[in-house]
Amino acid sequence: MPSKTPHTNGTDPVENGVNGTKDVEMKDDAPAPLKGGKGKKVKEGEEEMTVVVPPSKGSKLSAPPPKDNDGDVSMDGAEEKDGEDAGVPKVDPVVKAVADIKSNFPLLEKAVALFDARFSLRALRSISSIRKRLTPDILAQVITETYPSTSPAAKSLLNAVDRENATFSKPASNEMELDGESKTKVGKKEAKEIIPEIEIFLGILTQIYYLDNKINQKGAVFSGYLVERIHSLNRRTLDSLSARVYFYLSLFCEQMAPLPPSPSSPVVSIRPTLLSALRTAVLRKDIDTQSTVIVLLLRNYLSTSHITQADLLISHTKFPENASNNQVARYLYYLGRIRAIQLRYTEAHEHLTAATRKAPSSPSAAGFSQTATKLLLVVELLMGDIPDRATFRLASLERALQPYLLLVQAVRVGLLDEFEEAITQHSATFRRDGTYTLILRLRQNVIKTGIRMMSLSYSRISLRDICIRLKLQSEESAEYIVAKAIRDGVIEASLDREKGFMKSKEVGDVYATREPGEAFHDRIRACLALHDESVKAMRFPMNQHRLELKNAQEAREREREMAKEIQDGDLDEDDLGGEFEGM
Amino acid sequence: MSERDLHSILQKLKTTHNYAESSTLLSRAKITLLKLHALTPQSTTPPTVLLAAREVFESGALLSIRAKDPDAFTRYVHQLTPFYELSSELYPSGSGNGEKNKITGLYLLLLLTQRDYAGFHTELEGLEMRASDAGSGAVEGDRYLGYPIKLERWLMEGSYDLVWKAMASGEVPSEEYSVFSEILTTTIRNEIASCSETAYPSLPISSTKNLLFLDSEGAVVQFAQSRGWVIKDGRIYFPNQSLKASVDEDGNEKEVSQMTIENTLGYARELETIV
Repeated sequence: MPSKTPHTNGTDPVENGVNGTKDVEMKDDAPAPLKGGKGKKVKEGEEEMTVVVPPSKGSKLSAPPPKDNDGDVSMDGAEEKDGEDAGVPKVDPVVKAVADIKSNFPLLEKAVALFDARFSLRALRSISSIRKRLTPDILAQVITETYPSTSPAAKSLLNAVDRENATFSKPASNEMELDGESKTKVGKKEAKEIIPEIEIFLGILTQIYYLDNKINQKGAVFSGYLVERIHSLNRRTLDSLSARVYFYLSLFCEQMAPLPPSPSSPVVSIRPTLLSALRTAVLRKDIDTQSTVIVLLLRNYLSTSHITQADLLISHTKFPENASNNQVARYLYYLGRIRAIQLRYTEAHEHLTAATRKAPSSPSAAGFSQTATKLLLVVELLMGDIPDRATFRLASLERALQPYLLLVQAVRVGLLDEFEEAITQHSATFRRDGTYTLILRLRQNVIKTGIRMMSLSYSRISLRDICIRLKLQSEESAEYIVAKAIRDGVIEASLDREKGFMKSKEVGDVYATREPGEAFHDRIRACLALHDESVKAMRFPMNQHRLELKNAQEAREREREMAKEIQDGDLDEDDLGGEFEGM
Repeated sequence: MSERDLHSILQKLKTTHNYAESSTLLSRAKITLLKLHALTPQSTTPPTVLLAAREVFESGALLSIRAKDPDAFTRYVHQLTPFYELSSELYPSGSGNGEKNKITGLYLLLLLTQRDYAGFHTELEGLEMRASDAGSGAVEGDRYLGYPIKLERWLMEGSYDLVWKAMASGEVPSEEYSVFSEILTTTIRNEIASCSETAYPSLPISSTKNLLFLDSEGAVVQFAQSRGWVIKDGRIYFPNQSLKASVDEDGNEKEVSQMTIENTLGYARELETIV
């Protein structure tokens, strides 16, 4: 995130501090290698991904030009207020955090009033900037200031943050003064009833607090309560929030002992909950929850390597088409993983390529793109392709991919020795990444490449030489292997059994085949798809056309009037010109 | 019908070697399990019953392998899976893993003979994961599990002679594994035959015998006829080879030009909509 640093204005020490800690914190997270390796890694990736979009907020405060870069419509009250808050010099961090949290409430209210999930999503996105500052006290303060002391919702939330005795300072009075204009707004809203969305939003913040402080047991219990609560509330405007609640519920379960690969892990026991959530979400066409829960279930099954179940889940559900980009990326990754295990490499390759492309490019999502790229590399190798050298040079991937680079080098040249060495040397890494079994399958590819190299360099070579080159056990083995390679279309050659040699056929001209045409066609198709997608992705503000229509109508009316006046002879030419320009 | 019945049936089951008798015993045991609500493990099932149930299914699985009934075996394996996934604390102490590895190994081998490689690898992936979790070392090192894994690797890379040797030498981990040897032999023979069809222009009968692991030249002739190969002057010719090639050429030519036209028309249409 170095690009961000210059944006933060030096006069505001609070903001600077926040940005700094965020950076460090994420790096701390990423390499933490837990058992069940890959699971953990991916999670980090995912975790980060959900967090990715908004860090720009920090910089937004001081530098307005880089507005929303994700296509959302104009910003409104809440964000501006945010800016004002930052403007106040030397704000107490606690007060600021409280204000930040509260600034999301109008957004949530707006979401309910306009029935537009985009506002809830924006509130959720601001979580990442609040995240590092969360403490039970801040949460308690927000709760006490928001709810009247009699509210049962407030009581249970306070219970959750261990601040049962916090005093209720309602109505908006003391603390509020500090954040200037927002006071009146929030205050007025509070006078009305407090919508349940706010309760759930605070619940999510509490979940995050638990998660960041590794209080998993309590977090899981509290998440269970939240899920119950969402069920009993049964409001469509809660949908995008409930998706997040399920997400954290499953994260808690994953981190509780015994850890996932063990069959008695808590992840197994939340499957029914998730499945019923999925059912409800599908019935209600709740896309956010649906996509999140499908991804969670896949992840859940894969963590205990119940691949058959995961495959069945995929075949029985339909992933919502307009799910959020991050969920799609995750879904594609899991799909690719399952297909790779099932030896359906072409499909796996397709899904994984899409996953790596859809992965957010921000550095905090590096975990995800690393994991996805690793798997993609292995699948490419399994398909007999050699991955692009440039992939290994990317700064964010270079170190993580080092073991894979060795592997690719061995496969490319077809040297069994080096291949085996790379495996034994890095077997721990591969196991942790969950690619070990896939890599073991590569052995035959190494042999095939070796044979192909020989077939290209020699027009005729004896089986004995092949055997020595590939370090095979016997000449018979070599003969069978070469025969198989010929049948599988790896090489164009024929065998002579009596004399014991392999004779390569002349390689034809590639341009005489259909291959260049196909490659060309593929590219054109990709371009066309890109065009179609960008057309589909365009957004138009609601009712804008009516405004234009109205303008046009007014203009026409004026014109008519003018025409009339001209007819009447009241208007001279100059006047007319001026009028037209004004329009 | 109670737990005691179950144990007595189990005792008898272990001592008899008669297939008919065993299968009646097994079905009685399964009915008893059903009455005890232990056909699938429940949280309330007592440990001793769990163990007994597992043993019933295990003996059933081994029995169906000996009887060469793959469907029944697959069924038993599926019934056993939930039992194997329970944590070992739920069983009486010291009962160990039972025949888990043996049965899983047999199942892998079955998948291999059915050429269900996707199923094989799916199963294997799960094994690797659990093995690395339990810290019980590499799966390949296991006597029962290592065998099918080795065979699969050889089959995939094409070292058919090693597969053959492994089976011919009879060094199978247990007698049940030899049931599959025959099926595997047929499998690899067919594989080799299809490889030879494309790899060799022609083959002398005498060396084909070794190539296909057949006992006599008569068997070679028989096999060649069953695959529709032509035998001339003591050599085998593969008629499909040349046939395939010529058809390919012709079909290709037409298809390529047609495809190019179709594609170009498609581009034109798309351009029209864009501009």
